[in-house]
Parts: sequence; structure tokens; C-alpha cells
Amino acid sequence: MQSKMKESDPILEVENLSASTDNLPILKGVSLTVYPGEIHAIMGRNGCGKSTLSKIIAGHPSYNITNGDIKFLGANINSLEPEERSQSGIFLGFQYPIEIPGVSNLEFLRVSTNARRKFLNKEELDTFDFEELVKEKLEIVKMDHAFLSRSVNQGFSGGEKKRNEILQMALLEPKIAILDETDSGLDIDALRIVASGIKKISNEHTGIILITHYQRLLDEIKPNYVHVMSDGQIIKTGESDLALELEEKGYEWTDNFIKET
Amino acid sequence: MEIIEKIKTNKSDDNLTEIQKICLHKLQASPLPNPKSELWRLSNKSKLSNFLDYSINEKDSKFDIPYPKNSQSTIRLIIGENCQIKLIEKNYSIQQLSEDELQKYIKEQITFFKQNENWSDLLNLSLSCKNNILGLKINGSKIPPIEIFSHASCNSLNAKTLVIFLEKNCAIELLQVNLGKENSSLSQSTFFCLKENSSINHGVVSYGENRSNLLNSLNVIQQKNSTYNLGSLHFKFNYARFEISIKQSAGNAKTNIKGMQITKKDEQISTYTKIEFNGPNGFLDQINKSLADDKSHAIFEGSIIVPKIAQRTDASQLSRNLLLSNLAQIDTKPQLEIIADDVKCKHGATISQLNEEELFYMRTRGITLTEASKLQLSSYFQEIISFIPISKDKWDLLDKLLNEN
Repeated sequence: MQSKMKESDPILEVENLSASTDNLPILKGVSLTVYPGEIHAIMGRNGCGKSTLSKIIAGHPSYNITNGDIKFLGANINSLEPEERSQSGIFLGFQYPIEIPGVSNLEFLRVSTNARRKFLNKEELDTFDFEELVKEKLEIVKMDHAFLSRSVNQGFSGGEKKRNEILQMALLEPKIAILDETDSGLDIDALRIVASGIKKISNEHTGIILITHYQRLLDEIKPNYVHVMSDGQIIKTGESDLALELEEKGYEWTDNFIKET
Repeated sequence: MEIIEKIKTNKSDDNLTEIQKICLHKLQASPLPNPKSELWRLSNKSKLSNFLDYSINEKDSKFDIPYPKNSQSTIRLIIGENCQIKLIEKNYSIQQLSEDELQKYIKEQITFFKQNENWSDLLNLSLSCKNNILGLKINGSKIPPIEIFSHASCNSLNAKTLVIFLEKNCAIELLQVNLGKENSSLSQSTFFCLKENSSINHGVVSYGENRSNLLNSLNVIQQKNSTYNLGSLHFKFNYARFEISIKQSAGNAKTNIKGMQITKKDEQISTYTKIEFNGPNGFLDQINKSLADDKSHAIFEGSIIVPKIAQRTDASQLSRNLLLSNLAQIDTKPQLEIIADDVKCKHGATISQLNEEELFYMRTRGITLTEASKLQLSSYFQEIISFIPISKDKWDLLDKLLNEN
């Protein structure tokens, strides 16, 4: 399977990436390459830099890249704005999706979808056409139509917020999706709905990076690669078994690993 | 003293109404508010002086900006334009107050006036001639929405006064619009008396053009079991003051206020509120928002007064402010004066900038920074705008605000 994937060009290449915020180094030389069809999992203790890596790939303005490159579909995107990255096909699913009171979810989704469609030279959708499209996508995450008339994420439960993230992913059809702890705060049923949604949306042309603490998401979505991060670096990469080993041995095992190396 | 001379030279003493004479007399002792007093110390002196610079205009003047089209179901009145109304329908009546009723009520109010606290009202009542005072008595049920307009013409100082008696068990929706033309000053004073069990959804929307000024004062007396809901919005004035004074005369009443002021360039807009509970079981929920950009200055000062008689008062006052520029200034001071011991009162103030995480979230969905900022502002405005009883098709305020911000 892997060799088949690597026949095509990578979607995302993170090369020796170092980054800081307020002069505090957070990432210290991260390298990661994602090919079409691949699912990567990134695991690690809280504060090891997982979420920062996802935000930097998405273009968060609070972080400075001090060294290295991020390439998307072969082009360096270090200086692209977050909206340009999104329009070109990078999706970040938030660990804590933001509430935007007073902005209807439907309108927010329509504006976002049209921004991506415009980039893809597809016709922008008016409210009626968009309603048709969104109805279809709501099925993927088993969300009720009523969520659309509410303000973005306002009053949503933790699970509903995460499903709303996956709904956005379904509408934006990204080339690569980075899902930051999408499984946190989900009960078993919600986790299955979200995992099934992710599987339905992803295909052989897309890449996925799952940031997670738990094996339970990886039971639903089997990764091709698992990376363990510690102190702003990827200290170990393996196949899906690595997550099981980590679950069994805990992060202390990675501490020992660092000492040994 | 100049302002008094100006009023006097505009009219002979014989032409002044009794109320004008009383107010002028009160102003004579100290014609301007004390700039060191708490209520006026932040007020921009040169802007206040500019307010008084224009010549007094008492004539009916057609406003040369077309008002939004009126719908058949709305009653629209324009203060100063020979405004006459006498509607006696099956379920309700709207009639003008007689001169005696008006005089009596205003005189009563004036006896409580204090120099600094009510300077805007004293000025207004010194300036307002008979034609520019509208007094209404509203009674009954199923009353159509009412719109009342006041405007100031170019290069002039106009004063308009509105007095409304809302009779027992009566409920209305009233939108008050104050418009300032370029280089103008508008003095608007409004008096409401809400009788028992009456309720009003009151909207106040004030916006001006270049270098227009506004002194807008609102005095509300609420009797038992009345409900007063106020949604207000002030923007695009060189200088504007919105002074709200609400008295729950015997407690047991409800007051909800959601107000917003938006300042840009070098504008100064301020809101001063004083809410007094004069009996038990009063309720207040107030939020005031300010948004200041460029080199502008927004001010909020609110006081809640809960004397011993006002046991079991439940009052909340929140000031939320958004500072969009390093050179803009926001002053906010919510205050509580509590004597009663069995009350639930809270107040608070926040000043922040546009939320970067919200902006980033929207940008990761392909929405540009400009659009994301607009969406965030729209979300900020929405809470207030949705509280203003205003027909969306006629007054697309949110679009107007967003396009100008």
C-alpha cells in the first residue's frame, strides 16, 4: 500500500521546521511527509508541540517560523495567509472549535465553501443550492438541519462542535486535513460517527493527520504511520503498532527512549 | 452665559413659554455644566462648545434626506413638522397631551433637576418652542408600532422634546430616530411615564453626518409592574452624549437595557446612565457596548442606586468594550450604590480587541481577514441590534454599520 501511495508526489512536506512564539522556541526541527491516501497519527504529552505544529501548518499569525519549510503540493507556503492555505486545500479541525455568536452556521459554512469553490474555479453557490449540498453532507455526520440556523458553535455540546468541524471538512473537501484532538470529549457513539465521517470524506487523493492522545480513535481509523512528539520534535516514527505500544507503556517509555538516544 | 444670550436674542421675553423661562432662570446661575463634575469631566470641552456654536433654529425644516419608506402598519411622527395626531380606534387611542398636562408634567420634572445631572434637559427645555414639543398619551392594546423622528438641519441647533404617558396595561413598540445633518446640533429630551402594568419596547437609533452633534437625554419613570426595554445605538457623531435616567418609582418593575455606541475618527460619544430603585423587587439587566476606532473616544458611566427601601433588587450592569486602534480611548465606569442589605447586584467591565483566535478560526475556513473582522463585528453588534424594535427590511442597520466600519 505504501509503495503505491508514494508513486505520486507528496501533499505535505514539513522539512526541519522550527518555530517560536514570543521568542520561546516551540518546534525544534520537525520533519514530516504526507502522501496521498496516507493517514498519519501524531501522539505525545500535553505541551509537546502537537497542536502548535497543526496551527503553524494552518498559518497561525502568532507563531514565527525560525527555520525550515512547509511545502504543500510542492510549493512553499511559509508566507501564505491562513485563508490562502485553506482555500488551496489545507483544513485544520480545531480541538476547541470557536463560538461565533450572531453569525448563522449556515451562512458561515456557505461563505467558507464558496471561498474554496472560487479557488477551485467552481461556481459559487447561492443559499438555495448550498442548502441542497449541505443537506447531503449533514448525513455524513448525522447532524440535524436545525444546527444550521443556530450561531456557529454557540450552545453546541462538545460532540456537536466536533461534528460541525467534520461537516466543514466535508464541505471544503481539503487535500489534507489536520484534526487536532477531534476525539476529545466524545462519547463512544459520537466518536464512531465522527470517525465514520472522516473515513467517508478521505480518499486515495487526500491526506489526514490525526493528533490524538488515545488509541480509541486509531481503533476506528487505522493510521499508516504514528509519530511520537516530545519537546517540539518527532522522536519516533512507526506503523500503527507504535500507538498500541505507547498505550501499553505510557509516555515514560518515550522519556527512556530519549535518554537512550 | 453666551447660550442664554443666544436664546434671548432669538426671541423676546414675551414669546418664551413658562417652561423656557423657568429653565433659563435655572441656567442663568451657571450656564454651563461644571467641567470638573464627575458627569462632565471627560466631556470634550471644545466639542461641547462646538455644539453650542450653531444658531438656534425653531422653524419647521424639511429634512433633505429621505426617511426610509413607511409601511402602512406603522405610525410615524416627525417632531416639529406640524405634528398632529388623534387616533381613537376600537382597541387603542393615541392622543396629544393638552398644553396644561404637558406643562404640569414637565414642571414637576424640573423641580427634581440638578444643574450638572440635568443640564442637557435644562438646555433642551430652554430651547424647545411649543412646535418642537410633542406630548402623547397612549392607551389600549394591539397598538401598531410607532416611529418618532427628530432631526437637526445643517448649520443649526435644533431642540426637540418628546413626552409620552403610557397608560395602565398598555404595551407599545416605539422606535425613536435622531438624525443629525452635516454641521448641526440636535438637543433631544424624552420623558416617559409608564403607568402600572404597562410595557414598552423602546428603540433609540441616533446617527449623524460629518461634524454633527447630539445631546440626547432620556428620563423614564416606571410605576409598579411596568416593563421598560431599551435598545439603543449611537454612531457617526462628532460629539454625542446619551443620558439615561430611569426611576422605578415603587420598585416591582423590570428594566432591560442593551445599548451600543460606535466611535471613529476623532469622535466622542458617551453614555451616562442612572438607574434608581425606589421600592422592593426591582429588576435591571443592562449591557452597554462601545466600539472605538481611529483616534476616537467612547465613554460609559453607569450608576445603580439601591436605597434601603429597595430590598430584593436584582440588578446587573455590564460594560463591554472593543478597542480597534492604539490611538482610540475608552473610559468605562459601572458603579453600584447599595444601602439595602437583601439584594442581588453585580457589575463589570471588559475592554478587549478583536478576538484573534476567532479571526484565525474563520481564516482557516478560507474567509479573508477583512471579511472575518466584519463577521466578528456583526456578531458583536447583533446582540444589541436584535433588541431594537426595528423592521429589518426598512432599516438594515447591521449592513449600514458593517459597511461603515
